[in-house]
Amino acid sequence: MSPPDKQSALTRRALLPAGLRDVLPPDAAHEAMTVESLIGCFETHGYERVKPPLVEFEDSLFSGPGAAMTESTFRLMDPVSRRMMGVRTDVTVQVARIAATRLGHLPRPLRLCYSGEVLRVTPGDLNPERELVQVGAELVGTDTVDADAEVILLAADGLRKVGVERMSVDITAPRLVPELLPALGIDGAASPDLRMAIDRKDLATVKRLAGDAADMLTQLMAAAGGRTEGLERLAKLALPAAVRPIVARLEAVTSLVAAEEPALEVTIDPVENRGFEYYTGLGFSLFSRGVRGELGRGGRYLVDGVQSESSCGLTLYMETVIRAVATRLAVDRLYLPKGTARSVGAALRDQGWVTVAGLDPDIEAIGDAARLGCTHILRDGASVALEAIQATHKS
Amino acid sequence: MMNANEPLILAVPKGRILKEVGPLMARAGVEPEADFYNDTSRRLQFATGDPGLEIIRVRSFDTATFLAFGAAHLAICGSDVLMEFDHPEIYSPVDLKVGRCRLSVAEPIELAANEDPRRWSHLRIATKYPNVTRRHFAARGVQAECIKLNGAMELAPRLGLCRRIVDLVQTGSTLEANGLVEVEKIAEISSRLAINRAALKTRPNAVNMWVDRFREATLAA
Repeated sequence: MSPPDKQSALTRRALLPAGLRDVLPPDAAHEAMTVESLIGCFETHGYERVKPPLVEFEDSLFSGPGAAMTESTFRLMDPVSRRMMGVRTDVTVQVARIAATRLGHLPRPLRLCYSGEVLRVTPGDLNPERELVQVGAELVGTDTVDADAEVILLAADGLRKVGVERMSVDITAPRLVPELLPALGIDGAASPDLRMAIDRKDLATVKRLAGDAADMLTQLMAAAGGRTEGLERLAKLALPAAVRPIVARLEAVTSLVAAEEPALEVTIDPVENRGFEYYTGLGFSLFSRGVRGELGRGGRYLVDGVQSESSCGLTLYMETVIRAVATRLAVDRLYLPKGTARSVGAALRDQGWVTVAGLDPDIEAIGDAARLGCTHILRDGASVALEAIQATHKS
Repeated sequence: MMNANEPLILAVPKGRILKEVGPLMARAGVEPEADFYNDTSRRLQFATGDPGLEIIRVRSFDTATFLAFGAAHLAICGSDVLMEFDHPEIYSPVDLKVGRCRLSVAEPIELAANEDPRRWSHLRIATKYPNVTRRHFAARGVQAECIKLNGAMELAPRLGLCRRIVDLVQTGSTLEANGLVEVEKIAEISSRLAINRAALKTRPNAVNMWVDRFREATLAA
């Protein structure tokens, strides 16, 4: 084939805005199948699917956990209501809105799941994509160890069903540091720099800034890592009474998850807070060893409504999940020569074949089948592999 | 996909810092193959005495990039570079206490004598660190327009590119030789052992072992 002409209008039309792309065969089918198996798994656990709109008024999009997304939201003016609308950057906020309003009267706990595209003005640091696909689930209106564990185990179950291997989950306590610092007598002025140093696990700076609290903070930071060692280290610390329930919850959920899923590697990180700012309880991140970035994350947050409700949710990032899933094997495609009866084709499709109909009566069937990427051809009522035919021709 | 037993990759910056970092790596038990210290070698990736650790040699600004993307799991990285690419996927647990210098604002001597910083609303600054510079001045309500240069910053004021620079200062002799004076320190700089977040979460034992070894190596110094 000749190289594309740089000047042609057709070539110029192929250029998409930064961070947006066409997903082609077989990737598009693979992605859709993965999304459907994840949702299917969530549904078998009693999570019911909801489908919020792509665009809503910005004030509802930015309430509660959405507040952090104002800078990365595409906005457009609604010419009808003359109000500002935003394209969603995250579906969790929308599901929380649904749970608090239209489904506010349903008994709790309420289990909902979703999948959908989101759009971001500024791509993430690691992912150049501005359009992302999220799959998630929310367990609304219950605040227990079992609820936290259910959501983490649900994520693990879904990811395993779509073929993610060597998975690990990191369980965090995002509220621990913000509540520990005042309890240790560290005032507001010193704490932003200190918190930044804790976020970066910058031990030297923490020691310099934390004064008397340095010892406790460095030991807390050292508890990040494998579950068993981490929990042992935490147990040895004489933490202020104010934060002991946070650590007890971390320990209880971690132990429950590990007991229920012995094959899942569980790590803990009591001081992780960056990116989990809006969580009011536990947080967690999912990884697959060797795959860059997170497969997903989640945690406990408050849903604003008539009464605030504690909820636990998870969001899976499909662009990372897809990288962690072995590529689907090529599908067998069966060529039906022109003139094959419609009922014959239907019967073959019922058996699970993907059929490709020949449309030209004058064309040589085997050549046409190969040209259209078929692996098999229908001959005398039976499917024959193209490779077998080509082999006999050669011999 | 990476194999479970695949070695961890340590990114080390080329050049000046390498001489200071070498003894530290040795104390931490990192024994690179002989070719690593050979400046004329064109190789970029090296084995070590430990089959679980390999070294890559990259430009100092690239250490953070390799690390952020998980292409390297550990890196020896200046805190200037970590500040410039303030990245949630990077932790910097150990201050290696080498490569010490400071990141400072400098300007011509005659300018420093005759200006009132309270009147600033907009500055043009030549620097290798546009993000740090912008953040530093934004925090006091001043807009910094940064001209990104990759070296020879000190030339910029003399040739009229702009009047101020933000750059690393070790002794101040380069500044002096170019008629510049350090007017403000933005940060103290030293080299850090930095790690990739996902590597710590998925291989906590192996990564923590190297963190501990480097920490002990700095104490022994």
